Amino acid sequence: MARMKFLCDADRCIECNACVTACKNEHEVPWGINRRRVVTINDGKPGERSISMACMHCTDAPCAAVCPVSCFYGTVDGLVLHDKDLCIGCGYCFYACPFGAPQYPRVGNFGGRGKMDKCTYCAGGPQQDNTAVEYIQYGANRLAEGKLPLCAEMCSTKALLAGDGDIIAGIYKERVQRRGFGSGAWGWRTAYGETITA
Amino acid sequence: MMRDRSEEKPARRGLLGAAGVAIGLAAAPAAGFRADGGTGGLPPEKENEAAKRAPRYRETDHVRAFYRTNSY
Repeated sequence: MARMKFLCDADRCIECNACVTACKNEHEVPWGINRRRVVTINDGKPGERSISMACMHCTDAPCAAVCPVSCFYGTVDGLVLHDKDLCIGCGYCFYACPFGAPQYPRVGNFGGRGKMDKCTYCAGGPQQDNTAVEYIQYGANRLAEGKLPLCAEMCSTKALLAGDGDIIAGIYKERVQRRGFGSGAWGWRTAYGETITA
Repeated sequence: MMRDRSEEKPARRGLLGAAGVAIGLAAAPAAGFRADGGTGGLPPEKENEAAKRAPRYRETDHVRAFYRTNSY
């Protein structure tokens, strides 16, 4: 059975934010909610690295472990999805998640946040596949259409991979074996000289 | 004697009216994503427990093309 995974190659990510834009456009995610974002460390310095982050669909998801209303559920292919009809917006999942994936539509009085929203791996939610009500609550369901998450499909440098974990791990392994990685990658010393390593 | 005009109403007018309604419906904005998590007034169409945990991934030609073009 395939197990869905994201894999971001930090050597290739150029912080273009196309993945963020593609996600927002595909699901019509409003201002204030980012299901995906690009994090950069050592910005503007040698060794700068960027990585595209969203829900990582953990095997033993801490968000699901702390949810007081058990709104999270896992699919057979390894996705962690949630039911907005059950969510009470308590925010526990936000504190539990090491990736900052859960998002909330508002900050209100007495801690009211509204229903949690997060990356669905473009797989919708517990409504019938590709119905209007599923789109309204969870966004597009590309997996049910036989496609992959748009963030990965849009990535111009092919840094962000999505799909069957075994296959994308094989793709990354082959890249490293053929091209190297970091300052050992093909073309690095031509572009950055001999002194800059990462 | 006045003639009943409704009896003379050509059938094509009904067709034009129906076409106008269809165009109006097509031009209406599609329901978009709602940040509040509501259904926008639509009735829920919940999957049962087995269906919501069922695998969604399929290795289609589209997916195989993604793997092929990302492997270099």
